[in-house]
Amino acid sequence: MKIGAFIPELLRHLLKKPATVDYPFKKLEVPKDFRGSPYLKPELCIVCRACERDCPAEAIEIISINETEKKFKMIIHNDRCVHCAQCVDSCPTEAMQMDTRFEIADYDRHNLKMQWEYVRAVVKPKSEPKG
Amino acid sequence: MNFQIPIGPQHPALKEPIGLRIVVDGEIIRDADIRLGYNHRGIEKLAESKTWIQNIYLMERICGICSHSHTTCYVQGVEKLMEIQPPKRGLYIRTLVAELERIHSHLLWLGVAGHEAGFDSFFMYVWRDREIVMDILETISGNRVHYAINTIGGVRRDLDELQVKHILDSLEILRKRSEYYKNLGTTEPSFVARLAGVGYLSQEDAIALCAVGPTLRASGVPSDVRKDDPYAVYDEVPFEVCTADTCDVLGRTVVRIKEVLQSYNIIEFLLKNLPAGPIAVRAPRRAKPNEVVSRYEAPRGENIHYIKSNGTEKPERVKVRAPTLGNYAATIKMLKNGFIADVPLIFAAIDPCICCAERAVAIVDSRSGEEKIVPQSSLKKITRNTTANQERKREVEWPW
Amino acid sequence: MAMVNTLVYLIIYPGLLFLFVYSTFCEWFDRKLYARLQNRMGPTHTGKWGILQPIADFFKLMSKEDIVPDRADKGMFSALPAFGLAIVSTAMLLLPIWNYKVAKPSVTSFNGDLIVLLYLLTLPTFIFFLAGWSSTNLFSTVGAMRVLTMLFGYEVPLFLAVLSPAILANSWRLAEIAAFYRHHPLLILVNLLGFVIALICVQAKLERTPFDIPHAETEIVGGTFTEYSGKKLALFRLMMDIELVVASGLLATVFLGGFPGGPFLGLLNFVIKTLIVIFFLSLIRAATSRIRVDQVVSLSWRYLAPLAVVQLLIVILVKGLLS
Repeated sequence: MKIGAFIPELLRHLLKKPATVDYPFKKLEVPKDFRGSPYLKPELCIVCRACERDCPAEAIEIISINETEKKFKMIIHNDRCVHCAQCVDSCPTEAMQMDTRFEIADYDRHNLKMQWEYVRAVVKPKSEPKG
Repeated sequence: MNFQIPIGPQHPALKEPIGLRIVVDGEIIRDADIRLGYNHRGIEKLAESKTWIQNIYLMERICGICSHSHTTCYVQGVEKLMEIQPPKRGLYIRTLVAELERIHSHLLWLGVAGHEAGFDSFFMYVWRDREIVMDILETISGNRVHYAINTIGGVRRDLDELQVKHILDSLEILRKRSEYYKNLGTTEPSFVARLAGVGYLSQEDAIALCAVGPTLRASGVPSDVRKDDPYAVYDEVPFEVCTADTCDVLGRTVVRIKEVLQSYNIIEFLLKNLPAGPIAVRAPRRAKPNEVVSRYEAPRGENIHYIKSNGTEKPERVKVRAPTLGNYAATIKMLKNGFIADVPLIFAAIDPCICCAERAVAIVDSRSGEEKIVPQSSLKKITRNTTANQERKREVEWPW
Repeated sequence: MAMVNTLVYLIIYPGLLFLFVYSTFCEWFDRKLYARLQNRMGPTHTGKWGILQPIADFFKLMSKEDIVPDRADKGMFSALPAFGLAIVSTAMLLLPIWNYKVAKPSVTSFNGDLIVLLYLLTLPTFIFFLAGWSSTNLFSTVGAMRVLTMLFGYEVPLFLAVLSPAILANSWRLAEIAAFYRHHPLLILVNLLGFVIALICVQAKLERTPFDIPHAETEIVGGTFTEYSGKKLALFRLMMDIELVVASGLLATVFLGGFPGGPFLGLLNFVIKTLIVIFFLSLIRAATSRIRVDQVVSLSWRYLAPLAVVQLLIVILVKGLLS
C-alpha cells in the first residue's frame, strides 16, 4: 500500500503535451476505409435493387421515372441511414460507394437526402458477386 | 429512521435509466428493489420483420459497447441454421475483433469504476489508452463502435500486412500501461479502501443466483464459455480463465485486468498464426425450419441467443438473454447491508449494460401504484381487447 | 488619510474587488493544473489560456433561472449564500497583507485573531449544513448529514496543526507569527509535519477530493447543492473559491512566513505563496480517490490527530531547547 502512488506519473505529465486535440480548430485524420455516407456512381448502376432489399433502415429508394427510356431515380435518405455499408457489399457492379464524411449534422432532416436521376447502365456484373 | 431513496431512473451514477429503489437507515441499506423497462425498444419483435442480413445490423444496435458479441452470437446461430461453415481466416478475424472488443470494454469499465469512486485522474488516463484500441478498430473495420465486421458466412473486411504490424506495435504500448494500471489500482490506498470488502457475494450465492461473467469468476468459480463450450477458434488458442478469490469489487477489478492481459496474448497468437484464404462463404437467402441456441462469452458474461426459423427469409422468433439480466438478482443480494456510498460501485461492478437487458416489462397501475409482471399470453389478451375495434395499420409510415 | 486607507482596504485590496478577481484566478490555476496533471487541456479560448473561464461561469450562472423548491424554507434558503459570502470575505480581512504595523495592534490585526479566523472558517460548514437541511430534498439531507459527520473528523487535527507554529512563535496574532518566522527562517522546518497535516485538513474543509463527500456527484446527485440554481449557486461557488484563497492564505501566513513588503511587494509575496499552497492542494486532489464518510472519521482520529499531537510535542521540545 503506497501512499501517493500516482504522484510521479502525474508530475511527469506536467511536462508533456496534452493528449486531447483542440477540436474544432484542429481535426484528426480518419483512416482510409472509414464508413461515412453512401453515394451512387450512376454510370455503373444496373438497377438490380439488391441494395434496396438489403438495407436494414429502408434508406435507399429506387423509383422508375420513365419505362421506355429506362430512366430511374435513386434517393438515398441519409437521415435514415445507419452507415453499415451493406449496400456497398451487396452491389454487384461497385456502383454504391462509401465516402469519408462524418460531419453531416444538420438542423433539417430533409437537407440530408440525396438523389440521382440516370439511365440504367448495361454493364455485366463481375462473374463472382460479393455476397 | 427508514426512508426510501430512489437511485434512478435519472442519476449521475447510472449511464442508462433503471429504477433502483433502496430503503436506508442512516447510511446503511436495508433493502433494495430493481425496476426494469425504461429502455425497452421492442427489438425482438422488430427482428421478426427483417431478413437475416438486415438483422445483423439490428442485433448490433442492442448495445454500443458489446455490439460485436450480439452480432457474433446471432451470426453463429444463423450459420448453424443454414448449415454453412465460415473459412478459417474469417473465424480468426472474427475472434480478433472479439478480443479487441473485450479489451476496450474492460478498459472502459476500469475508467468508469474510477470515476464512480471519485478517482478522476485514473479515469482520464485509462480512457486515453483506450483510444489506442478504438483507433485500431477504426482502421480494421471503418468505425469506432458498431464495427459491423460480421456477415453471414464470415467477415466483410480483410486485414493487410500494414494493419497487422500496427496492431502488434500498439500491443506493446498497451501491455506496459495495463501493467501500470494493475499496480496502481491495487496499491493506491484511497482507491482500495473504496473497493475492498464492498459487495460481498459468496461462491454458493453466486452459483445459486445465476451470476455470470467476471461477477461469477471473482467469487472463485472458473466458468467461461470460451473454455466450456468453445466457438470460433477458441479451441485452438491457448489462454487461461482468470479468477479471483476475494468475492468483492476488488476481485472483480482484478479479474477484468487479468482478462485484458490474457487478451493481449490471444491477439498476439492470432496475428502470428493468421491463415491465408478466403474470408467468407456465400450464404443462402432462406434457412430451413429449425431452432438453435447460440452462446458467446461477451465482456460482461454469457450471452445467449435463441433463433427459430420457419423456411422463409425472415426469422420466426429471436430471443436475447444478455449477461446483465443474469446479474440483477446477485446485485440485490450484494446491496443489502452496504452503505449508500457503495451503491454506485456495487452496481458498476457488475458492468451493467442495461440496454442489453431490457427484455422484461412490469405493468404499473397508474391509479393505485401497484405493479405486476405478466406473462406474454395475458399481455396479448389485454392488447387484443383494447385494440379489437381499431383499424390495423399495416405499413410503417415514414415521415417524409 | 486613514479613512481613505480603510476604504481601499475594505473594497479594493484586499477587499471585495481584489477577492473576486483573485479567487477566480485561483480557481483557474487549480483547474488548469488539474487538467495538465491528467494530460488534457483544461480551460482554453476564454481569454488567453482560458483565464476568464471562471468569471464566465460566474456570469453564466447569474443569468440562469432561480428556482426555489415548494416545501423549502424560503427565507433561510435565499439568505444563506449571502451570509456565506459575507463570512468568508470578513475572514479575508484578518489576513496580514498590508495596512498593519507589527508594533501596534489594530482592528484588523489584534491578539487572538488566529482563533477568530479559524472560527470564521468553521461557519461555512454550518452554512452548508443549513443549506442542505432547508432544501427538504432527500439527497440534500444526506449531503447535509455528511457535512456534519466530516466536521467531527477534521476540525481537531486542523486546529492542533495550525496552533503549533503559534505556540513556537509565542503569540496568537497572525502578523506577529509571520514576523517571527521571517526572522528565524530555519524554524519553519520544525513545523513540516504540521504543514502536511494542515494541508490534508484544509482539503477536507474545502470539500475537495479525497473529501468531496458532501457533494459527491456520482452518489447523491448534488448533495447539499442539489436544489440551488442561478444566482444562489453562483454566490455559493464564489464563496467556495474565496474560502480556497482564505485557507491557503492562512497556511501561507502561519507556515511559510507571511507577506512582507507593504502594498506592492506584499501582493507579489501573497500571490506566490498562496499559489504554492494551491499547487499542493491540487496535487492531492488529482492523486487520490474519494473515500467514505466513516473512513474519513476513522482516518482522522487514528492517524491525523495523533500526528498533530506529536507535532505539538516537537514544538514544545524545541521551545524548551531554545530558551
